[in-house]
Amino acid sequence: MAAPNSQSPSVRTHFKTPEGRYKLSHEKTHPTSLLHYSHGKTITQVTLAHLKDKPLQTPSTSSSSSSTGGVGARFSAARLLGTGNGSRGLVFGGGNGFSGRLTGGAKSTTVSTGGAGVSNGPLASSYDGEGTFLIFNVGDAIFVSDCNSQDKDPIKCLHFGNANPICHTYDPDAKDGHDLLIGLTSGDVYTASLRQQLQDPGKKLIGAMHYNKDGAINSSRCTSVAWVPHSDGLFVVSHADGNLYIYDKNKDGSGDVPFPPVKDLAQFSVAHARSSKSNPIARWHICQGSINEIAFSPNGMYLAAVGRDGYLRVFEYAKEQLTCGSKSYFGALLCCAWSPDGKYVLTGGEDDLVQVWSMEDQRVVAWGEGHNSWVSAVAFDPYWVAPPSGESGESVTYRFGSVGQDTQLLLWDLAMDEVVVPLRRLGGTLSGSPAFREPGAQSARWESVQPVGILHPAPVRKEVPKLAPIMAHRVHAEPLSSLIFTKESILTACHEGHVKIWDRPGVQGCSPARNSDSADVSSKEKLQPAKSGLSQFKQ
Amino acid sequence: MGSSGSKLEKALGDQFPEGERYFGLENFGNTCYCNSVLQALYFCVPFRDQLLDHASRTKVSGDADDNLLTCLSELFTQINSQKKKTGVIAPKRFIQRVKKQNELFRSYMHQDAHEFLNFLLNELVDILEREATASSKPTSGQVHPDKLANGTANGTANGNHHHSVVTWVHKIFQGTLTNETRCLRCETITARDETFLDLSLDIEQNSSITSCLRNFSSTETLNAEDKFFCDKCCSLQEAQKRMKIKSPPRILALHLKRFKYIEQLGRYKKLSYRVVFPLELKLCNTTDDAPGSEAEYSLFAVVVHVGSGPNHGHYVSLVKSHNHWLFFDDENVEIIDESVVQTFFGSTQEYSNNTDHGYILFYESLEQKH
Ligand SMILES: [Zn+2]
Repeated sequence: MAAPNSQSPSVRTHFKTPEGRYKLSHEKTHPTSLLHYSHGKTITQVTLAHLKDKPLQTPSTSSSSSSTGGVGARFSAARLLGTGNGSRGLVFGGGNGFSGRLTGGAKSTTVSTGGAGVSNGPLASSYDGEGTFLIFNVGDAIFVSDCNSQDKDPIKCLHFGNANPICHTYDPDAKDGHDLLIGLTSGDVYTASLRQQLQDPGKKLIGAMHYNKDGAINSSRCTSVAWVPHSDGLFVVSHADGNLYIYDKNKDGSGDVPFPPVKDLAQFSVAHARSSKSNPIARWHICQGSINEIAFSPNGMYLAAVGRDGYLRVFEYAKEQLTCGSKSYFGALLCCAWSPDGKYVLTGGEDDLVQVWSMEDQRVVAWGEGHNSWVSAVAFDPYWVAPPSGESGESVTYRFGSVGQDTQLLLWDLAMDEVVVPLRRLGGTLSGSPAFREPGAQSARWESVQPVGILHPAPVRKEVPKLAPIMAHRVHAEPLSSLIFTKESILTACHEGHVKIWDRPGVQGCSPARNSDSADVSSKEKLQPAKSGLSQFKQ
Repeated sequence: MGSSGSKLEKALGDQFPEGERYFGLENFGNTCYCNSVLQALYFCVPFRDQLLDHASRTKVSGDADDNLLTCLSELFTQINSQKKKTGVIAPKRFIQRVKKQNELFRSYMHQDAHEFLNFLLNELVDILEREATASSKPTSGQVHPDKLANGTANGTANGNHHHSVVTWVHKIFQGTLTNETRCLRCETITARDETFLDLSLDIEQNSSITSCLRNFSSTETLNAEDKFFCDKCCSLQEAQKRMKIKSPPRILALHLKRFKYIEQLGRYKKLSYRVVFPLELKLCNTTDDAPGSEAEYSLFAVVVHVGSGPNHGHYVSLVKSHNHWLFFDDENVEIIDESVVQTFFGSTQEYSNNTDHGYILFYESLEQKH
């Protein structure tokens, strides 16, 4: 299917796939009046957060009860804008049907208070139930929208002031309530409780832990953040200078002792903190130039990183070893995502291509051609159920999506017997005998692994099987930046901070996350342990 | 004058590349179209080397025939031999020569940087061809070995047969396109090759340069009024035509057609479209058997048009030198971060505060076998 790059400003509100019609359900955006663009524009990323029913023990907003504040990682002051705001929140609270809005009253108060003391409006204070929220950054702010509401406007706005938040993620299984992880342009990193933010009427992040304060350890831009799966409090932050840091949110640790300078910028190297109390606990130097995105495999065993130098690198996280990887056709890689079974890694980048990297074959098994500009986000559809296959029963089909700066959403089907088997010629099924592999392809068995750290050069154009999208649709007017598959819908977001929710065929109504306790898998949330048995795949 | 220079020197510190000079160029009233292209060409290393070489040779031979080539090589030599590392130079003689040579550039009107690049390269080619044919009788002892087969050059010597001489300008900028036309009746494919010094690409909103190149080489159907005369069928036939790169150039100059004639308006309009261009590029529109079809290119210069309309505005250039990116705005030179390059992609909305748009892109092949 061709991917027309329509010049028409109109964006159709549905698109068709073999399985049916996807319909635009509703949109989420932000009131531009609340933005401070003083630090330049940023690109919006979206995180989907599912708050569970059981209210977690949230840290109090008052600093007196906060015992977790450490030496290097301090609490950011919970600057409440006066008790008036707080009580106002309580007055309106309790009404679940009332969804707090930022506009309206907020706009008028902007004038009277000179923009500084804009209230977050009458927030419903009872965010102690379950709910699904969209977290997205625009300018110097993080916005939170209620997924279960049709309301366009966010329920919460958090301003950061000195720097812009540009990457964030959410851990639904966080033990101590600090489930939200945010990275800033200044290199600063925060963890905080989402529920606590929702319950607070202020416009500042409260009860947060602050790491790499003022870029003390690394002053380059944060580019991607991820919770380490099943680690209870470890998280990884990648930076624009090619380094990533591993932090332990349970450690007070000071950042006073930075790491020694990287000796060879061209080589992968790991440095551990000298003191067991230090935070971050380790620095990995990955590449020259920016790391653009990182993603953990669903079982947490592997960490994928893509960057400015065009390489996808896959590391065995616990062993701190480079396992495999390959180069883009040309240009930087901008995004990456794992298949739910951990067998494939998608990458997208400045060559307008979506590449499918096979962990078993250790090679690029397909190129998706169809974008007319750079590919900014990729994701597998974890809810896709392959149509019943023919006699063999071995045709594994994956569905994945990609969004690009061409404003298009593309959907792709990857049929293993079409793509992988011809490549192997004799190999047969996915778990076929390594004896039949082509020269150059690595063994699929991790026990018999190749020399550590093999990075493949860019594939030759003629030699890579090509995929064509099953669907191409211009979903926004602006270049796209984010893509999330939920059980009921596909979420797309553009650079400017507009989010669209596209209902899957057969889904009625418009709540993309109604009562679903399903894994919310997003391009920004690959770190979440997959809950439906996916993590039990052998590796 | 020296203040901005010293700032740049400070910014680079001990990373200031050995022997390199970063000089701004004085503006003589709307000559930024010229300055921006000159900076891009100065930092096109093979081009600069040839000009410096030319200057040293003409100095030895005392052959001071005043033309655009000598003026340009003098200017480059002047920059290259400055004692100071940074500063400003007035390209007075060169500009005078340009205005003398071509009345188009004589006025103080805003000029098109791409037209100027075209004019300059073609003028250099003409001069070099004339020199080559004239110097078939060796003049200065050392004839530059840039001449293709002496015999053929002499055979058609009378100045009217171009392309018989391959000048160093060709060796640097020239690529070959092959124009394949397939008659839809007899299926015969007629291939016609043509050379180019740069490619002019139609652009679309929110696209990439790769996509523009793909569209450039997409298949076009010739029908109705526009049929193709098939030699085999001896008649006009419907046909399919496509143009692919058969031989990629060493320096790939890509011109984005941002100035479009709008018939309804009866005038040109600037297209501010956002067209992303990567720092490394491979050509996706080569013929299958093209040598170097997998060659990687690296971006080293961008001529930027600043302004919302075609008849006014300003030109600046971004240049990569020794792994640093520099911003040249007439007299001013600044160091910029690589990530700043992407602020010149264009705008996603027609009316935007951002009016600084990449206009001519210069990529250098990383393959050495040219
Ligand atoms: Zn014919």
